[in-house]
Amino acid sequence: MKNPRRRFLSLAGAAAGLVAVAGCAKDAPQDTWQPAGPNAEMIDNLQRPVFLVAGIVGVIVFAAVAWVVFRYRDRGQAIPEQTHGKPAVEITLTVIPVLILIGVAIPTASTIFDLAKTDDTQMVINVTGQQWWWEYDYPAIGDNAAKYGLSQPIVTSGQLVIPENTKVLLRVTSRDVIHSYWIPKLNGKKDGVPGRVHLLRLEGSKPGIYAGQCTEFCGLSHSYMRMETIVLKRADFDAWVANQLAPYEAPAEGTLAKEGEALYIQQCSRCHQVNGLADAEGNLIVSAPEQYVVSGAAPNLTNLMTRNTFAGASWDLLTQECRDVVWKASADEFGAKYLAGVSADCLNQKDLREWLRNAPEKKPMYVDPTKLQETGGKYRGMPALGLTEDQIDALVAYLLERK
Amino acid sequence: MMITTSSKLLYGLGAGSLAAGFVWFVANEGQQLGSVMFAFLAVAFIFLGAIASYTRDGHVLSTDTAAHASSAASQKSVGRSLWPFGTAVSAGVTVVGLISSPGIFKVGVALLIAMLGEWMISNWAERASSSNEYNTKVRDYLVHPLELPVAGALLLAVIVLSFSRVFLALSKSVGAIVFAGMGALILFFGALIAVKRQANRRVVGAILGVLLLALAGTGVATALDGEREQLTEAAEEDHFAHRGCTEEKEYSDKKASRAVSMKSSILANVILTEDGQLYAEATGYPGQQSAITIQRSNPSTILFVNESSEARRMVLSYGKVVEDLGDGVERESALEACTSKVEKGGQQAVTVVVPKPSSASDEPFTITVPGVEGAKIDVFVP
Repeated sequence: MKNPRRRFLSLAGAAAGLVAVAGCAKDAPQDTWQPAGPNAEMIDNLQRPVFLVAGIVGVIVFAAVAWVVFRYRDRGQAIPEQTHGKPAVEITLTVIPVLILIGVAIPTASTIFDLAKTDDTQMVINVTGQQWWWEYDYPAIGDNAAKYGLSQPIVTSGQLVIPENTKVLLRVTSRDVIHSYWIPKLNGKKDGVPGRVHLLRLEGSKPGIYAGQCTEFCGLSHSYMRMETIVLKRADFDAWVANQLAPYEAPAEGTLAKEGEALYIQQCSRCHQVNGLADAEGNLIVSAPEQYVVSGAAPNLTNLMTRNTFAGASWDLLTQECRDVVWKASADEFGAKYLAGVSADCLNQKDLREWLRNAPEKKPMYVDPTKLQETGGKYRGMPALGLTEDQIDALVAYLLERK
Repeated sequence: MMITTSSKLLYGLGAGSLAAGFVWFVANEGQQLGSVMFAFLAVAFIFLGAIASYTRDGHVLSTDTAAHASSAASQKSVGRSLWPFGTAVSAGVTVVGLISSPGIFKVGVALLIAMLGEWMISNWAERASSSNEYNTKVRDYLVHPLELPVAGALLLAVIVLSFSRVFLALSKSVGAIVFAGMGALILFFGALIAVKRQANRRVVGAILGVLLLALAGTGVATALDGEREQLTEAAEEDHFAHRGCTEEKEYSDKKASRAVSMKSSILANVILTEDGQLYAEATGYPGQQSAITIQRSNPSTILFVNESSEARRMVLSYGKVVEDLGDGVERESALEACTSKVEKGGQQAVTVVVPKPSSASDEPFTITVPGVEGAKIDVFVP
């Protein structure tokens, strides 16, 4: 194909085809065109006609420009007489866009107001972003306590668990820089800004896992700041709450997990809270991430193995096979599969061990001890702990019991 | 000879940058950022070297005898320049800063860059053509858009800084009189100049120059003398951050509502009603709340609104801290944050970072109003 024009057209056609084919992907967990809740449906109902109108306008404009460029291309002809001012055309070309924009603005404003409603809230959850993970805490006040059995606050991370068909209000904020919370199938984005609380409605119509991604560039590992929202049937949600509030169960004496508990207290409990964990004298251990981490927080690991992900939801705790079982479960079966948590057979040993071996190698973080002057020696992320393989075995055994 | 004098320099710098990039890569165990920077630097130098080679340093050919008299290089130089002196002084400031303080070092580097830039542009402009007049014009076109705003900003900074130092040194009442007097004086001179259109510009300029010098001098003198006593005391007291939170403490901010500058970032409003009831309004929660949640390790601002008839303060209690004083001695003190006393109808905010969850404390976290029985809001920190 020697003709440069034909070569260009072929390449452009191939590129356009590739883009078009990409749009046909079936496994697209962050697809904005597949709403799974009333809030996302409101946005979908708005974006489809707007996209259609914008598409038609775009096609007309591009076709007109192409026709003018081709029709009046330079063929050596004389320059036509130049004129200025055509009131009728100018008014028409002003009025048409104004009418189109008014037609778009009315439903847009209506949708924005509908999405901002908070007076029908049934459950409130605090969502806090920090480099590079999301923390969720379920306050034990108001309807949360009265109607959903939250006698104590629940603190978790990575996966937000909500009951089906429940109007949940997220109070989104941040501990360090600006982040943005977005579960495309459930609602639009909301920025998490330090010192401010922004409200975001969330409601899921069908049990399942809905993936998201921080959408405000927030530093080195922004791309590893992911999140998932889990929608459970009410009975399953109640079971989840009961499990989260269950008292701590220490590993049996003489087991590898017991060794792991001692190691956890020594190495991990400085930053990571495990509710109910006590030292040898029986004193409850309270983590102190504010002393070691810039954001002043680290993920609560009390029920780590009830969630399917770790490290900012960047890696699965389940092997691919077990993960598929949960992700592809029917709505009726999903709750049971999810609540089963992570078993020894299903644990994604590879990624978890790599993380424990050298976390910053797996996920870039500001943890080089020689470069922490500006933060007063505090880390942004998790440092490499220099654990031996035996220690990693013990820790994995201990963490496996955190269900 | 293809490699001309200046291109030798540029090629040399390019090669040096490449070598530095390599050394950086090896010395920093494969860290790429510095190496990439040096690589770009090398490309830039080699590109400039190629231009110098291509233009043969802009020299006039020996065979082009007509250009010998008219070329820029054959013209007389345009006199003395202060930039080399400025560059030397800036280099000195940089070295002094390197030894003494990072602030001076940064100023030195900024000055050095500015002086070198000015020197370079002046040098280039002096050789731009065979006309000195044209060369001056070219330089001004290029540099004035940068020089004038920077000079204006510096002038403004001197005025603002001098004013602020003077007023921080004067007492509040004298400051108000001086401010009014100076305003009147400026208005008078402005009016005078507006009326006397024929006033000599040099005379006006000289008067303004003297006034500026006087202002700057007074600013320096008052800065050396220090701020007024109350401000010094406040700074020593960490701006009253450690004032007591009990009912008896007398300090009362009579203009508390004016002191609130963070109303847009409020976690919760805590309202004390006329009949002594205390409730909270928190973003996202409908109606009046008797409990609020504060996120751990996150700066949170709570606004206290006093609708009762007496001056009251809000106190947030969030556990206790035990300090190790050494030799086995420990001191236990309550963790509290409070507003100052707020008059009826006033409001004041307090910002707090709670490091520990409420479940870790033996005593519940609360918001109370000293002196008002039963006024209490539960605080949960997950």
